[in-house]
Amino acid sequence: MQGHRALSVFAVGVLCYASAIAQSPFAPKVSGPLSQRVVAYQIDAKYDPAKHTVDATETLTYRNLTGQPLDHFPFHLYLNAFQPKSTWVREAHRDGYFRTSSLDEWDPKDNGSNEITSFEVAGMGDLTRQMKFISPDDGNVDDKTVFEVRLPRPVAAGQDVQFKIKFKATFPEVIARTGYKRTFLLAGQWFPKVGVWWHDQWNCHQFHAMTEFFADFGTYDVKITLPKNYVVGATGVQTGDTDNGNGTKTVSFHAEDVHDFAWTADPNFKVVEDHFDGSVGPVKIRLLTYDSHKSSWQRYLDVIRGTMEKFDQWYGPYPYAQLTVVDPPHGAGEAGGMEYPTFITGDTSWYAPKGDLSEPELVTEHEFGHQYWYGMVATNEFENAWLDEGINSYTEVKVLDSLFGRNTSSLNLLGIQEGDGEELRSSYLGDPDFDPLARASYTDMSMGSYSAVSYGKTATMLSTLETIVGEQALRNALHIYFLKYRFTHPTQQDFMRTVNEVTGQDLNWYWDQAAYGTQVMDYEVLRATSDSADWYQQDATEKKGATTYETQVILHRKGEFIFPVEAEVKFDNGESIRERWDGKDRWVRYIYHKKAKVVSVEIDPDHKVTMDSDYLNNSRTSDRQKGATEKIAAYWMFLTQFFAQMLSWLV
Amino acid sequence: MKSGDIAGQRKGLLSAGASLLWRRQEILWWVFAVNVVLGALGTLGAARTLNAALGYSLAGNQLVKGFDLGMFYELLRLPGANFLHSGSAAFACAFLFAVFMLFVSGGILEAFRQDRRLNTGDFFAASGAFFWRFVRLMLFSLVPFVFLWSLYPLVNRFAEYVGDRAAADQVGFCIQFAGTILLALLALLVRLWFDLAKVRAVAQDQRSMWRNLWESCALIWRNVGTLFWMYLRISLVAAIALLIGFLIWAKLSPTAIPATFILLEFILLAQLAVRLWQLASATAWYQRHAEAVPAGSLAYTMPQPEAVIAAIETPGVPEPDLPPLSEPEAPPTGA
Repeated sequence: MQGHRALSVFAVGVLCYASAIAQSPFAPKVSGPLSQRVVAYQIDAKYDPAKHTVDATETLTYRNLTGQPLDHFPFHLYLNAFQPKSTWVREAHRDGYFRTSSLDEWDPKDNGSNEITSFEVAGMGDLTRQMKFISPDDGNVDDKTVFEVRLPRPVAAGQDVQFKIKFKATFPEVIARTGYKRTFLLAGQWFPKVGVWWHDQWNCHQFHAMTEFFADFGTYDVKITLPKNYVVGATGVQTGDTDNGNGTKTVSFHAEDVHDFAWTADPNFKVVEDHFDGSVGPVKIRLLTYDSHKSSWQRYLDVIRGTMEKFDQWYGPYPYAQLTVVDPPHGAGEAGGMEYPTFITGDTSWYAPKGDLSEPELVTEHEFGHQYWYGMVATNEFENAWLDEGINSYTEVKVLDSLFGRNTSSLNLLGIQEGDGEELRSSYLGDPDFDPLARASYTDMSMGSYSAVSYGKTATMLSTLETIVGEQALRNALHIYFLKYRFTHPTQQDFMRTVNEVTGQDLNWYWDQAAYGTQVMDYEVLRATSDSADWYQQDATEKKGATTYETQVILHRKGEFIFPVEAEVKFDNGESIRERWDGKDRWVRYIYHKKAKVVSVEIDPDHKVTMDSDYLNNSRTSDRQKGATEKIAAYWMFLTQFFAQMLSWLV
Repeated sequence: MKSGDIAGQRKGLLSAGASLLWRRQEILWWVFAVNVVLGALGTLGAARTLNAALGYSLAGNQLVKGFDLGMFYELLRLPGANFLHSGSAAFACAFLFAVFMLFVSGGILEAFRQDRRLNTGDFFAASGAFFWRFVRLMLFSLVPFVFLWSLYPLVNRFAEYVGDRAAADQVGFCIQFAGTILLALLALLVRLWFDLAKVRAVAQDQRSMWRNLWESCALIWRNVGTLFWMYLRISLVAAIALLIGFLIWAKLSPTAIPATFILLEFILLAQLAVRLWQLASATAWYQRHAEAVPAGSLAYTMPQPEAVIAAIETPGVPEPDLPPLSEPEAPPTGA
């Protein structure tokens, strides 16, 4: 009997260990804690698919690591943004759209809300009546996305405080990364979330249309009760699945060292699983998708594995045990292309052509990149969007270029090509000079400017920086930046300082223009001519290889952005010369005396200075280049004739 | 009428139309030439702009060796490159071509009707004679065309509404696709109606276009199967020609600019030929099946009797080039 008992205890122990291993939120070679865990959320949520609501009880344990007593706490209630008078809707309506949604008209289905029915603080009683909505950013009294609670007595430094919150979340039809579509639900930003004590004050912005989120690291234990035919995916790993016997089930999830928790559910989900063998052990990839997107399943898995491999090699390991990839159903585009810790949403369609890499490849790569630039390096997305969206766009270009080719990493269809870097550059040049990167992102002029600057300009600016420091040095800098600041909240100064330190260069002259300024770069070849040296002799005849020519090349800095550039001068005897100009003056002249004429002059012959706003004036040739003109003219003529025939069909 | 006869006549109509067009191919070449000239004129501004931007720049190479979309955006962004202005010029040329086609429709249909090469004077006389009548027809045609056009957003909205609520991804697309096809077929029917009205106007020298329209409508109503099937098949040929052209284009090397140009022009020639084939087939059908042409309806082309007699009686004066007298046509069969 004793022996049996010992065996039983041993068996239970092994099972517990195995279970603990299986349920660990980390990859095999990683053990936590990885972050300074400030928060611990326990949420018990019940989902009503008919009403698209969640009734939940949230227990938040907050550890006061601020080094000072705290007597008031602000909380986000993001779902309240989806009300007509909120700051989010005002801003989105002002710009006329949000991502794929037109906000010209308000549809009742767009309504969402977070309603708190009870707010208690352990040891301090019910403080529901103490809750007060605040609008720290714009004073909009109708905005209810942030509330504050003042405690009867402060929480001492180093002590924990426990909040017990009962709330009801009502989801809108999918918009801005959250909501339902038919039976599908993406539950993002759905629970009351405490602000971040940052730089000696609370940082708890209202929900803005342009920008995203900011939160503290911690642990999450979430139980979701819903009809048992639903397939569920969430941040972290699944730790339980209990049939409640009444047609519902409760699925439990656990996550550590993350700063947000999102989940999704749909009875129509198909689960496709794969894994990635990273440097810290295998990571499970769980794709939640649909039968109708079958042609994209392998594309999702391929790009995820390819991206994880590059990030592992270049920047550092992905330490979590699982990555959940959600492929939203048709009509739920607003749920696509979003990142939450260990949980991302892609985007595709049943007809997605293979040559169009914008979906699902580009979206999926981008969202996975956010696991690093947002998920682990948790910068303030409200204020410094370029640190997450921008750096992530830059690494997206590097990864996609390495996987699909520099000139074809975004589009390679019917001979029409576009590189991802080129696409981001085009986005930047759409609105290049309204907002500096360093401006608090939520105050940018418009959605267009925010997007151009945060995504396009940062990617373009970092790509251009490679010409100064080298591609490998910049990669090293990002690697060090990641290792140094993962699981913390670095600032833009931290980033720039790290690049300066790792590359061993004082790049402040560059940051001043690229990050703090709005200067636009534009260099041009103003002149490239060759004249016979003895032009004054009336009977002089020119002879190739014998006549000496004076070649004059003038380079001109048209824009305000000062940047050193190279120029390649080619002569008709095959010789070529590279000049390097610091670009500080407005122009520079080069004179050559050779027995050869100039053929062409090209600024940035390696095509790396992507910040240059006009590529067309970067070169000048002595002979006319007909090809492009003839080609486009042929298409133009075809379209004109075709249109003419169409019109004539009508008469 | 036996069904075999109907099938035989249908088959005959397409080949009759095609052979009529083949015999009158000078019309196709002339119209295509005008299309090319106007297309070239509409391209001049853009070509000049392109040349200014790319003429002495290496950047254009990225558009020649493949089509770099980024570089194309670069071109569109260029402050000096006013493609909107060039686009207006292209639009104006396209509009001119449509007006030209409206003008020469009378001459084309008359040449098809007579099945002989009209001299320039006769061709333009017929064109001029019917121009204002066809303008009126065109204005009438705006009503059904605009109506069909206005249905398109409704189809889209319906497809979106249903598709949005359907679990299957393809539902919305299928509704939109089916709706678009249906509207396209209805537009083809409208085109057929107005083409037949034109054919009737020329054959019968009809002056009242309003009455002509209703009579054409009745004629189509009685023969809708034959006529629509005829037009549909010819339209399918146009679509197939376009598809084949597109497939060949996709195979061409990006640097093969002359070959691309020739292919594109060949596609346009094929589209134009198909359109004229429709008109020729409609003429052939009408001549076989429609109403008898009332006497004296072709006064504008018929030489005066005195002139004919004088020509016969005057030695050395060549006999005038008269149209062959056609047999009186059978009344509509209603088949």
